Parts: sequence; structure tokens; C-alpha cells
Amino acid sequence: MTLTIGNTTAVQSVVIKDSPTSRRRRGRRQRQQAGGRRSMGMFLCILPFLVLVFLFSYFPLYGWIYSLFDYRPALGLAGSEFVGLQWFELLVSSPTQVAQIGQVLLNTLAISFLGIATSILPLFFAIFLNEVRAPWFRNAVQTLTTLPNFISWVLVYMIAFSLFSSSGLVNNVLNDAGLITQPLKFLDSDQNVWLTMTLWSVWKGLGWGAIIYLAAIAGIDQSLYESAKIDGAGRFQLMRYITIPQLMPTYLVLLLLSVANMLNNGMEQYFVFQNAFNKETIQVLDLYVYNIGITGNSLSMATAIGMLKSIISVALLLTVNWIAKRVRGQSIV
Amino acid sequence: MKLKRKVALTAVALVAAGLLTSCTGGDAQQQESISSFPDKWDEEITIDVFDGLANYMGIQEGWFADIVKKKFNMKLNIIAPNVAGGGDTLYNTRVSAGDLGDMIITEKGEKLDELVQGGLVMDSAPFYPAMSNVEEFDTAVEHLNDGKDGVFAFPTSVSSLKPTQPSEGLDPTFGPYVRWDLYKALGYPELNTLEDLVPVLKDMQDLEPTAPNGGKVYALSLFKDWDGNMMVTAKQPTTFYGYDELGFVLAKADGSDYQGILDDDGEYMRTLKFYHEANKLGLVDPESTTQNYDTMWSKVQNGQVLFSWWPWLGQAAYNTDVNTAAGKGFELAPVKDINIFSYGAEAYGGKPVIAIGSKAEDPERIAAFIDWLYSAEGTYANNSQTMGAAGPQGMTWELDDAGQPVLTELGKQAFISGEAQVPAELGGGTYTDGASALNVTAVLPVDIDEETGLPFSYKAWPSYQELVKTPLSEDWSAKMGGAATTMEYLETNDQLLVAPGASYAAPADPSEIETLRNQVKAIVIQYSWQMAFAASDDEFESLKAQLQEQAAGLGYDKVLEFDMENAESQNKQREAVAADAG
Repeated sequence: MTLTIGNTTAVQSVVIKDSPTSRRRRGRRQRQQAGGRRSMGMFLCILPFLVLVFLFSYFPLYGWIYSLFDYRPALGLAGSEFVGLQWFELLVSSPTQVAQIGQVLLNTLAISFLGIATSILPLFFAIFLNEVRAPWFRNAVQTLTTLPNFISWVLVYMIAFSLFSSSGLVNNVLNDAGLITQPLKFLDSDQNVWLTMTLWSVWKGLGWGAIIYLAAIAGIDQSLYESAKIDGAGRFQLMRYITIPQLMPTYLVLLLLSVANMLNNGMEQYFVFQNAFNKETIQVLDLYVYNIGITGNSLSMATAIGMLKSIISVALLLTVNWIAKRVRGQSIV
Repeated sequence: MKLKRKVALTAVALVAAGLLTSCTGGDAQQQESISSFPDKWDEEITIDVFDGLANYMGIQEGWFADIVKKKFNMKLNIIAPNVAGGGDTLYNTRVSAGDLGDMIITEKGEKLDELVQGGLVMDSAPFYPAMSNVEEFDTAVEHLNDGKDGVFAFPTSVSSLKPTQPSEGLDPTFGPYVRWDLYKALGYPELNTLEDLVPVLKDMQDLEPTAPNGGKVYALSLFKDWDGNMMVTAKQPTTFYGYDELGFVLAKADGSDYQGILDDDGEYMRTLKFYHEANKLGLVDPESTTQNYDTMWSKVQNGQVLFSWWPWLGQAAYNTDVNTAAGKGFELAPVKDINIFSYGAEAYGGKPVIAIGSKAEDPERIAAFIDWLYSAEGTYANNSQTMGAAGPQGMTWELDDAGQPVLTELGKQAFISGEAQVPAELGGGTYTDGASALNVTAVLPVDIDEETGLPFSYKAWPSYQELVKTPLSEDWSAKMGGAATTMEYLETNDQLLVAPGASYAAPADPSEIETLRNQVKAIVIQYSWQMAFAASDDEFESLKAQLQEQAAGLGYDKVLEFDMENAESQNKQREAVAADAG
């Protein structure tokens, strides 16, 4: 039921178990042919996926070449000047530049860490939601919390803007109540940006993230609960000693995946929320690359910074892999 | 089986090859030179117009479309990067694909050079002999295509005016415009310099704290979407003292002064200080930080803003029939020490240029269309959106018995009341919606139409000026020593600094400068906003120091040096062109 790696191995072992029995019925030559035909068939099955992986994961690496040129779209790559490592040198050319990239990495990692820290919330949400007895209420809550996941960040920003801008609902209410005279700057200040950004992601992703845990809860063996109840366990004890431990493997796998994705916190959210006042603390790596490449029209420089991201990602992945090996005795790659 | 596999392998190889190589088109067909255009075209076509200036995207509609259809049997599909947003993304995408559009409106200098080099624009030399209207401005065409092997682009904003004459008509491009009715109510307080506006604006805001729509009134409302090398609203007041930007340099129109924008005692810092002082008194709209031009425009329209940097903001949005009849509206404030920057008529044309795309479907017809834009008829029709040309003869204006141009009923409705319905046989819809969305000025509307002996712009016609006398304009005129127009007032008081129109285009940034510039300008914009809204003087000063330090760290000085050289060569060209014109 759960999406653990264990299941995949089980499927593979079934296939392997099947093959010797079938082989035994045929002669040697036949066997080879049959084996060849089968592996050819299997290969054809995975071929589309190999092509996709090649197209979307390896072919784009060819684009790294743009970082060595002064790329001008009108002239094409062939007509653009080859500049060697100029962009990489520029990246480390001045302390301010380095400090800026440092700040960007700090923002990226901080927001990612906050995201990982809050990744436990959907788990608890799922557990508590599961305890709700009335099905209509449970379904209503689940629907309402899942919906935000399907709203684009642009619309989320519109909601945020109408609530929190200086002439938004919140400021108006506070103003009318006589609590403030000057509007509070929720959106255009650099205070608590990391935190507010995390809260928005939690609001958007809570219900969606809970789905997988709800599925996992449904897969827990009911006899565990029954025997615990016979032993006199209360509701919270059931949660603590049965549900949570049963969900832990799922949680850990998802955690590992999110660690591997640490630098990929996307740019849409930060792009719509960015302004002159919070830019310094909101600019994550993806947004920084966008701002330089698309807004600033320095495509080659942006490529160079994008490569930086890949390099750091690989380093992070290897680190996590090493930790996983030490902790679980089993590596993920 | 074997054959099948071979076929499959070949197919895979072909697909891969197709994916890996991007197609490059062949050369355009060799055209034969022509000396005249056909009178009519049988087959209807729709051309893609890539228009860097357009604020409208899609098929041109209304009366302008009707004229183009009748004359050229052609529809214009306008592709507007301004509407699409995202900087140069649309341009870059289309350029990489090798086809920018059938007709291209872009900038001279770097962009045009690249397009020529990349083979994306067509050499129009074969059509040039037939383009009799453009040929009148042959000097400008020659100058623009100087050093290129052919006629690749046509200049815009051409005119027969002297380069030392303002190109602007009755109103300057820039100027401190205030709500005259409130200024009058305060008893026309004396304004010696820019900073004197702050207390006056404060009194004006106190006088009218709420707009008729119930919204709060602020003296100043800023917006962020035009920010380029610097915060755009902070640059505007520097033009009141004769400065205009060239990269990070503020260059004075007469070449007497050059400043870096981050200079401690420079004009840019002065403006930021001006906003900061105003903000401390609660004069700056707190929504400024998040709103865009459109939102700000509608606030001006609703009377929620009291100051405008341009006549084409304050007056255009607020001075409606109803408001001006009640004496309410924006007029130039008599600040004593201002010396407003004015663009001289460009001797060799303005920055935008018109070109034909190298993959154009029917280049001959497009050439004919471009040529028409330079004719009197084209000037009247095409410039009606941007610079106040009078629209098509017979529709919005006609010649009276004395041979003088006068507005028709439809013209009066369109230009004075603000909206008019165009009859269906002329294209239908409202006049404004049907105006040319190209947003490019081929011939300046201040240029003289030889047939009427008056400018193409209706605003300069005596018949029009008689029409639009309002209590507001009369009060303003009486206070300003009887000046009939803003331009007249500024010229009599010697408060206009004309930068000779040398048609200077800065050379392309070397790639390193461009990248440094992009990084520095991001910092400049970010800190400028923070400074304008700084809570205290100390914060203002500390932000300023941070900005100067960060910008220096990102290579500001290197870019500034480059810009300074450009500013100087710009000035040399201005001097040369002014000397030429005498």
C-alpha cells in the first residue's frame, strides 16, 4: 500500500522467480531465444522512459555550453562570441558578488530547512483527521485543505494582496478598529520573510501532503488496534504507539526525497511575492537565476549560476546518500 | 525482422537528428527592384507585426484596421512584448526561432545591428525606389543604414523641423504638474524650487483628504513597472532641471554637466530625498510599492493623486470636460528654478525603427504599407493614438470654407469629450479602440502638413484652441502671464532646455558591462525604493551608504565609466548637429 522501496523489490523478485520454471520446459536453444525475446520485450517497455530520461535529464546538459559563450539569441550560438570561463570568473570577481550568492544560498537553504521542518505537519494533520468520526465533516475538511494545492501561486498572491496589502482587508479592519494609524507592511518588508513564505507553502500543501499518510493509515493492520484496545489503550495511546510508528517509514522516505530536492524550491512563489523591500531575503537560487537570465537578459551568466546549482545538488545528494548508508545501512542511489 | 529493425533504427536516428539540430532557413529570395507599387492587392493577408512599442496584442480592429484593409487588403496581427511581459523573453524566443515577424518595430543600435547580422531583417533596397513618401526623409534613412549593405530599416519620428526645436508640440514631455484648483485655493503659494513643493502638496492634501469616490487622496503615487536603470519615478524630477538618463549617467541637455546617479549631491539622490521628505509627512501613497502604472493611472483619473511628472499623465487622465469646466485639473506648477529637459526634433529620426522581416510573406505590400505611414494620410491616421495627430480627414476633421482644418462632431467627441462611436462603414467601435495600435510615430505630428499649412496635431490648430478654453485653462493662463500653452510659458521664461536631436544611439554594451549593469541596476532599484520609504533620516543615510557600497562592489564604477564616454560622444553629436542646423 505504501510507496516504499520494499514493494518494488518484491515485484522484481516475482519476475525472477518465474523465469527458471519456464526455462526448464524448453531446450537450450529455445531457452536462449525465449530469454532473448523476453529481454528485448522488456527493453522495449522501458525504452520510452529511457528516451524521456535522456531528453529531459541528459540532453539539457548540452545547454551548459551556453555558459562558455556570450550568447545572443539573434546571432545564434554559432554567431555568438566564445568567452571561455568569463562568467565563472565574474561570479567570484568581487566580494559583493560572492556575498550576494552567499545570501541567495542562505535563503534557499533556510526556506528549504523550514519546509523540511514543517513536513511533519501533514502527518499529524492526517492522523487527527482520521480520528474524526463524522464522514461528511472529514470529507469536507479534506477537500477544503486539498484545494489550495491546485490554486496557482499568482492567484495565491492575489489573495495575499487583497488581505495583507497596505489597503487590504487586514489593514482596513485594524485601521477602522483604531488599533493602527499607519498601515502595517505585511508584504513589503523583509521581516520574517522566510517564515511567512513557509506558512504560505504549508497552507497550500497541507491537505495535499496528508493524502499519502491517509492512504498509509488505511493500510495499517486493524488487528493491531484491536489488540491494543483489548489491552486498554486510549485514543491517544493508539496514535502514539501504533499509528505514528506505522507511518514512520513513509515519512522517512518522503523526507529523504525532499532533502534531495533542497535546492529546488521553485521560483513561482518567490517570484510573485518579491519586491524591492524583501528581495534580499526572498531571492532563492531558482529566482536568482530567473532574475539574472530572463529579467536581466544575461542568459549565459544565468546558465553559469544554474550549473552551480547542479553542482551543489550533486554534493548534497552524495552527502545524504552517505548519511542514509550510515543510518539505515542502505543507500538510496 | 531484420528489415523492420533497420527501418526502426533509421527512424529513431532521424527523429534524434531532427531533435538535435535546429532548422535554419534558407536565404530570402532575390527581389527585383521596383519603381512603383501596385494599386490594389487581390489576396487578403494577415501579417505579424512584432512591435516593441505596442501596448495591444492581437489583430488590429476598428477604423484604422478598416483603412489598412481597404488600402492594402491586409490585416495586422500585433505581437507586443510589452503586453506579454517578462522583459525580452518574447523577443529572444522569436529571434532564436529565426522569425521575428513580417514587419518589425524595434530599436536602432544594438538590437537592429544584431538582427541585421543574424539575417532576421530584409534588405528593402529593391522597394526603396518605390517608397516616395519615405524618400522625403532620405537623409535620415541614409544615416540610419550607414555602414550597412542595404536599406534594412526606416527611421521614426522624422520631421522637417530643426534639431534645436522642441519635438514636443504644445506640452513638454516632462514637467511638474499639480492639481491647479487646490493650488489656487491655497492662494498660489510661491514655489522657488522642487523642495518647496513638499509643504504645498501637504496643504493641498489636507485641503482635500478624500476623493469623490471615497478613496484617500495622496499627493504622490508612485509605481514600479517601468523601473529600468533606476527607479523610474525618481528619475523624472531630474528632467525638471534639464537632465536625462544615459545608462547610469544623468546628462544635462546642454552638455554642461554629467552626474553618476549615485553621486552624493547628485540630482537622483536629491529626488529620493524629496520622496523621503514627502513620505515622512504622509504624502506618498503607501500602495506605491506594489502597484503598477495602470492602478496609479486610475487613481489619477479618480482624483486620488495631486502631482504628475508628465502632462500625459495628469492632464490626460484627469482633465475631462466635466472637471475642467468646474475649474479642476492638472496644470504646470510655476516652480521658479526649473529648466525642463526637452527632446529636440531628431535630425535623423528617433530610437525606434521599422523594418521588414526576412521571412515576410509579401514584402512588397509591407513596404507599401510602411511607405504609406510616412504620407500625410498615414501620419494623420497612424499617430492619432500616440501624439495627438488629428485622425483621418473626413472622419474626425475637415477643411472649413476658409480652408482651415476644423474638428467634425465626431472629432470633438473623440478628442474633447473623451469617447466617440465610429460609424460601421468606417470600421465601427469606439474611436480610441480603433486607433492604430502600432504606437509608433513615423512622422512627428508637430510637422507641418503642406496642404493645410498647419501641424498634423489638432492641438495646434487655432480652431481647436478656441474650442477648449475652459475656466481652468483661463485661470492658469491669467496666472502665468497670459501664456496660451505650457510650451509658450516655458519658452518665454527661458525654462526649457532643448537637447539637440542628434539621433544618438549608444553602442551595444560589451557583454561584461551588460551583465554588470544588470546586477547593479537591480540593487539600485531595490535600495531606491527602500530609501524613498525610509522611516527616518538616519535610515535614509545608512541605506544610501549601503547602496553605494554594494553597487561599487558589483562593478558600478566600471559601467559608469563606460556610460560617461557614451554621454560625451552623445554631446559631441548634439553639438555637431546643432552647428549643422545653424
